[in-house]
Amino acid sequence: MKIGIISFAHGHAYSYADAIKKHSDLELAGVFDEDAVRGRKAAEAYQTTFYESYDDLLATDISSVIVTSENVKHKEHVVAAADAKKNILCEKPIATTVEDAKVMIESCRKNDVFFQIAFPVRYNTPVKRAKELIETGKLGRVLAVKGTNRGTNPGGWFIDKELSGGGAVMDHTVHVVDLLRWFMDTEVTDVYAEYDNLVSGGKIDDSGILTMTLENGVFATLDCSWSRNDAYPTWGDVTLEVIGTEGTLTVDAFDQKVNVYSDKEGVNWDFWGDDMDESLIRDFKESIKEGRKPSITGTDGLKALEVALSAYQSGEQKQTVTNG
Amino acid sequence: MIRVLLLGAGTMGTVHAEAYSSLDNVEIAGIVDIRKEHADQLAAKVGTSPFYSYEEALAQLEDVDVIDICLPTYLHKEYAMKAADQVKNVICEKPLARSSEEAREMIDYCHKQEVRLFVGHVVRFFQEYNRIKDTIEAGKIGKPAVVRTTRGGTFPKAWKNWYGDFAKSGGLILDLLLHDFDYLRSCFGEVERVFAKKIARKDADELSIDYALVTLRFKSGVLAHLEGTWAHQGFSSGIEVAGTEGIIDYNSAKNSPLKHVSREKEAGSAGVEVPESPLASNPYREELKHFIACISNGNEPLVTADDGYQAIKIAKAAQQSCDTGKPVAINELMEVDVR
Repeated sequence: MKIGIISFAHGHAYSYADAIKKHSDLELAGVFDEDAVRGRKAAEAYQTTFYESYDDLLATDISSVIVTSENVKHKEHVVAAADAKKNILCEKPIATTVEDAKVMIESCRKNDVFFQIAFPVRYNTPVKRAKELIETGKLGRVLAVKGTNRGTNPGGWFIDKELSGGGAVMDHTVHVVDLLRWFMDTEVTDVYAEYDNLVSGGKIDDSGILTMTLENGVFATLDCSWSRNDAYPTWGDVTLEVIGTEGTLTVDAFDQKVNVYSDKEGVNWDFWGDDMDESLIRDFKESIKEGRKPSITGTDGLKALEVALSAYQSGEQKQTVTNG
Repeated sequence: MIRVLLLGAGTMGTVHAEAYSSLDNVEIAGIVDIRKEHADQLAAKVGTSPFYSYEEALAQLEDVDVIDICLPTYLHKEYAMKAADQVKNVICEKPLARSSEEAREMIDYCHKQEVRLFVGHVVRFFQEYNRIKDTIEAGKIGKPAVVRTTRGGTFPKAWKNWYGDFAKSGGLILDLLLHDFDYLRSCFGEVERVFAKKIARKDADELSIDYALVTLRFKSGVLAHLEGTWAHQGFSSGIEVAGTEGIIDYNSAKNSPLKHVSREKEAGSAGVEVPESPLASNPYREELKHFIACISNGNEPLVTADDGYQAIKIAKAAQQSCDTGKPVAINELMEVDVR
């Protein structure tokens, strides 16, 4: 199965490329990047062809394409890939506006192409186990969830609203919202958010706390801040504290690490857990090969995006807003 | 020698009695509890006289300098007002009162009677929390930005399940999260807005659990998220402060110098959970030692009755937010009783 990558703007492009290399039945057949220097360098590193335009890449015999461009460009790239009848894996967030997301979903439906959103945390092994525990009733009825998805300010285009659509709230709301929807098969009904630029200077939001009410009566909070500093032993986290009538569940998705105290590199939490990006790519491949529907749909991407946008609306109005 | 009359021989009364009996300049004049057995046992333990009513104690005792109230929250105001008619110093467990209006009344009455009123916000005397405050003030993490706290454990079991009666205890937001409201206020100043959610009363009542998540926005810009729980097993508390130039964190569940587990530990032992201190002088002792010193030398305490009142106002805003689903600005807080 031949795969192309459109843009290495998002760092995940590299981990997806690494994952492709691990599968003998996958071939990274070509890459495109608006930043030709970055694209050529990636093509060289992964021993593949660099294309000057995405149309050229899409004109080749690749069957599938991964879109890891800047958030605002997802629409252009996904629509072009759909028109070229390619299977598509699109980095999260699906887009920066509901309108764009709907155009993308419709374009893929019209062209009858496979369209998956990349929410890799669904492939984290402890997270998968958490879903099982909830579904098999080990927690009884879920009452509340406390979530975090914190990180380090990624800089670059991520902090340029014209390209990213927003800061930490846009970047880090969608993962945990996707998990809440996936765990409990429910939707977010209202959102209250406090966010600001508190850590890194500049204007874009880098700190945020969301409180959400879900259709099933559960309430949840999410800390989406880019609040991890240079000296912190890791890049960030995904954690969930789930309160049920029969018990509690604590998920710390990346707490699979050895603590390294190096004179050269300082303190590091070195992760040894399963590679969720590789599992995501494997699932993408297998779903296509077996003719299955995508595990994570465009609608899943849209629903998560809506919550991030509601959070921004809440912050502007300083009120609780109805989602969707 | 300062003579203290202690009201209440429950969990906190016991902690206070033990602390007083270890202080050189304090004498426990008596211990009052309407539960004869509790009063007798604790009085025998610390070598003082038991009484079974407040009136009985006052009729028999002379020269009481301090009345220390370790009664259920809903009784604080009644006994603080009575005490203010009898003695010059009142020490009251937190929360100062069941509502901000009651707290105001107590403060005003004590002021009028020229009685000193102290409130037991003991987190101010925890070394870990003091160290965090000092580290922030020393500028080691730059400007504070995002704060997360956690506190709680199992649902407290006490006399007539008064913690389970919202009208009597104010529930977890008033009783438990008040600690963090006060501490965070001492670090980051006044709160601007509060948003909060807690599990439905129906669930809390049926299951004897409670759980709340609160967001505080401080006037300084600091954003704080607080978890209060009576839905977990075993007490723990924790805090993380992320700033512009660093992060500081502490969690008692992870940083524990001593752990003892009985092979057949009975689940859900009685009382409200009091964390065991690794220090020679535990925070409750430090707190009472400080209050007694303030009584002796006339100094202002580290935490005042007004601080206690302000913390209750934050709790009230959080409760109002839970009830309405909306953010509540502290300065727009309705001065009505939300009971």
